[in-house]
Amino acid sequence: MSFPSQDRRADEKLGQILGRVGSVRTRLNSLALQHAIFYTLAIAIAGGAAVFAGAYLLSPLAFLVGASALVIIGCAGIASAVGAGWRMRASAVRAAAIADDRAELKGRLSTIVALANHQTRGSLWSYLVEDTIGYQDQFAAARIERRRVSRAIYPLAAAFVLAALAIPISKINHAPQVTPGSGQDDLTVDLEDLHLRPADPGDESGMQVTADAATMRRLEDKLARESAANGEAGGNSLNQLVNRARDMAGHLQSRLTGQKMASEQRLNLRLADAGGDQDQNEIHRAPETQKNRRSDIAGQFKQDQPKSSREIDLPREDDLRHPNSEPSPGANGESGAEANSGKDNPGNRDNSATDRRIQQSGENGGNGGAAHGIGADPDSLFGAPAAPKLGTEGFEIAIEARPVDHGAKGAGHAYVAPKVRAPLSLNQEPDEPVARAAVPAEDRTTIKRVFDR
Amino acid sequence: MSEVQAETPTVADFARTFRRIQAEIHKLIIGHEQAVEELLSALFAGGHVLIEGVPGTGKTTLVKTLGLALNLSFNRIQFTVDLMPADITGTRVILSGEDGRREFSFQPGPVFCHILLGDEINRATPKTQSALLEAMAELQVTVSGTTYRLKPPYFVMATLNPIEMEGTYPLPEAQLDRFLFKVRLNYPDEGELTRIISSTTGPEEAGIEAVFHATEAPERIEALKRLVREVMAAPAMEIYAARLVRATQPQNSRFVTDEARAVHDEMVNRYVMFGSSPRGAQALILGAKVRALLDGRANIAREDIEHVAVAALAHRIMLNYAALSDGIDAAHIVERVIKSVRAAKL
Repeated sequence: MSFPSQDRRADEKLGQILGRVGSVRTRLNSLALQHAIFYTLAIAIAGGAAVFAGAYLLSPLAFLVGASALVIIGCAGIASAVGAGWRMRASAVRAAAIADDRAELKGRLSTIVALANHQTRGSLWSYLVEDTIGYQDQFAAARIERRRVSRAIYPLAAAFVLAALAIPISKINHAPQVTPGSGQDDLTVDLEDLHLRPADPGDESGMQVTADAATMRRLEDKLARESAANGEAGGNSLNQLVNRARDMAGHLQSRLTGQKMASEQRLNLRLADAGGDQDQNEIHRAPETQKNRRSDIAGQFKQDQPKSSREIDLPREDDLRHPNSEPSPGANGESGAEANSGKDNPGNRDNSATDRRIQQSGENGGNGGAAHGIGADPDSLFGAPAAPKLGTEGFEIAIEARPVDHGAKGAGHAYVAPKVRAPLSLNQEPDEPVARAAVPAEDRTTIKRVFDR
Repeated sequence: MSEVQAETPTVADFARTFRRIQAEIHKLIIGHEQAVEELLSALFAGGHVLIEGVPGTGKTTLVKTLGLALNLSFNRIQFTVDLMPADITGTRVILSGEDGRREFSFQPGPVFCHILLGDEINRATPKTQSALLEAMAELQVTVSGTTYRLKPPYFVMATLNPIEMEGTYPLPEAQLDRFLFKVRLNYPDEGELTRIISSTTGPEEAGIEAVFHATEAPERIEALKRLVREVMAAPAMEIYAARLVRATQPQNSRFVTDEARAVHDEMVNRYVMFGSSPRGAQALILGAKVRALLDGRANIAREDIEHVAVAALAHRIMLNYAALSDGIDAAHIVERVIKSVRAAKL
């Protein structure tokens, strides 16, 4: 028979035991929470640092693959860390079991915690409580679990170190990747002699083509023919996807690093040729005529410094044929200058014969005379200075171009890699387009008659 | 004669009584400390014991000594092939009264006692062996439609001779399962054998002092048995015992850890035909409770369960011919099962 005072004392002792077990549980759960948080932070910080460093060190595709892998691994690691923390959490029974093991109490605490709320505890319950309270010093929270901070703090510290190491990487001035021919300012090409094909997915070089609609249609047709001939039609969609992924990675890199990446430094190729069919026919003229024609219509590469891109401007055939049409200052003028120079300079004529013309950037600043050098066509003699027509009719697509060692159609002119720009000597001056002068109305008839003759 | 303990024994009383009985037994029995402890544990847990040992290892002497130390009634049955069930349970015989009238009267067999020794039980036919089943399991005997209660405590100790198998009838599984523990008596070592020689060949034999008075011995033992039942078992310990039993059963690899699954498959699935029955889990917990009281605790621990696991489970596991050919015994299986389940989280 038990007395109320005995029961009260037994309950007090039971409360002490349960309180100590509760403190053990609190400490264990704190460590579990710290484990989850620290590991999550460590993975996030280390992964972020790795992605940040990869944005500086890796090419876009490698960065995309690496970052994706890191994100997947990081997510899995965070899930694992959270799961581990969740599994480390301790209920009261589990905390008692851990305390039993570490204090070698042989299940006393587990039994008390498990049976504390039972209605019938048995005649040995008070003995068990008295027996267990005698070991209360052994199952204090500080003795069961000495650590207040989880060992996961070490991975977190390592992650901070890794992040600190990533900072110097960002300070290294990485030169943008050089695209093929990036040292060139201008490149004169002929559309028909271009050997075009979709770029390889991993190719980092790029070219941006600007042309009017008709020229672009021709370019697309040519590209389709070349692709079909090369049997690459099936891989276009994949290549497009890869290119999109690369562009996306490049943008992400740019955002991370705050600088333009190499993939954005594309070569801008501006084509101006609206007379598709006629031009097609003209291409098959006599070699001499074709040579001149190529010299006339061949555009030029233009290094677009702010964009780090290069443009090739080809004159529109309409502009060549109709003097009243508004020529593009960056196209007609420059092509005219080139035509003139082709006539005057045998060396340039040779270059024109090979359909490639490299000019200094100072010569193609886009401020050349609009109809300068068009010359023999009397209809174009009296045109007023025109605004560039490509501004309204042209559009841009991005294609990949790179040098190949054989020409189009197997018999064309071999593609010559653009040469490095050579500075002008002291005795040289860049070509200056002659300003178009207004012809007096009373003299027009006379001048036209002279040229007609 | 020892002093009488208090009516309600305490944990300390139990341990003291237990140790004293041990000491009295070891006055005659040299060595076999673990066997004696398991024997007494089975007694206080309310079970029966199957003793297996080669001839001359003291099986019968052990049982006799126990009866003397406990001061309980003791009977011995030498099982033979021609032993009949009525020879064990008793039978109705015609007796003449004082008035000359003849009437059937029940003559109790040797089963009516507190401690029964069934010597070489495997020499009797299964029919005779099964006569013990009701007595062991339900503490009653039914003869000619009349049920007779046995007086508690009732403790059956049966011996097996493992090397004389010719003309024997191995105990069926149902009967083996009714023994709480199976105790092995091995050969004594040299020191123990020397002591046996000196103590048994001299002019005087060691006298056994009964721990209890004859009149109060049954009640005292029953009180200690009730105390054993009061020992608390946390649910985790019951789960552990259940998993141990389940792990002895083939195709129950899920109760062991992944690391131990290969070992479990290698041992249990390969060598075990039938695993332990649920009585094995009961035996584990009851034996663990006795161990806990001996350790001064009112709760069982995992160590207590593991300590009695071999004695409680080995005889309940049926091995196949592969085990026999490879020389694997059930005790070895149980030890491997313990290691496998121990690492599992409860």
